[in-house]
Amino acid sequence: MRRPLAPTSEHIPNLAPMVDVIMVILVFFLLGASLELSREGVLQTELDPRSGPGEGATIEIIPLVKIALEATGAEDDCNVYVLGERLAPDGFERLARLLIARRSAGADPTSPVVIAAQPDVRWRFVVRAMDAAVKAGFSNVQFAVGLEGRSE
Amino acid sequence: MFKRPPKPAAVTLNLAPMVDVMMCLIIFFLLATRLVGAQYRGVELARADAARETPSSELRTRVVINVALALTGDGADYIVNVWDGQQIAERVLTPAEIAPFLELSATRARQVGEELRCVIRADRNVAYGTVEVVLRACGLAKISKIVFIAKTGEPESAP
Repeated sequence: MRRPLAPTSEHIPNLAPMVDVIMVILVFFLLGASLELSREGVLQTELDPRSGPGEGATIEIIPLVKIALEATGAEDDCNVYVLGERLAPDGFERLARLLIARRSAGADPTSPVVIAAQPDVRWRFVVRAMDAAVKAGFSNVQFAVGLEGRSE
Repeated sequence: MFKRPPKPAAVTLNLAPMVDVMMCLIIFFLLATRLVGAQYRGVELARADAARETPSSELRTRVVINVALALTGDGADYIVNVWDGQQIAERVLTPAEIAPFLELSATRARQVGEELRCVIRADRNVAYGTVEVVLRACGLAKISKIVFIAKTGEPESAP
């Protein structure tokens, strides 16, 4: 005797694992976004209140260290000079070592460190020089600003 | 007559709508993240090991100037967020407008007994001359406290 076919049962897939995975992805993106925002830090300095073009006259700051940055024409390089002497090769590593040595030798951390960069030097190199000075413990970083307007 | 008790029905949750909502949330967050990034027009910060993560409340009264690579040409765009009376709107300043803008902001801060800080968020690839414009304007506006924003974290692959 032929048996009648059993009624087809409604098949419902188990979606719980999929929901778990989606929740994990959601949490990952949320955390990733917030971590990205918190990875910004600050480098603070206080410019000499006598300085600046607003006074209409130049003032002379006698720096402990004067760092000059010169563009080489290449996008990913610049020359580093300290008190007129070129540091090469590895200019920034040598600059960091030199500044640490000055601090170890007892240099006053509030002594001005002046950064004078050519206008076409990339900003990242200026930050790198400032970073080296702050890491060595110097808190008074000044920037040499030309009096001539060079706004583009 | 004895009645058979009914078979207990299997309780299953229909999770499909929940998955739909979650997919929408994921797409929303992905798009929102992209839009937030676009707000600063891809200001890629320089990295500094000495940069210290600081809560914004510690910076007190401040004005933030984003120095982004110009969309056209080789210069930079100076982007600030200003209150236009109804909402905070993005405004692109010309180099000549920076000093008056900072002077006005510094005057307002002094009126409430605060000292204004100038926060500079400059792209790592802009020329120093474009940031120097802001520093010179700070000198004109008698703003001495300068804050540079830099990236902390893993080292950069390129110099």
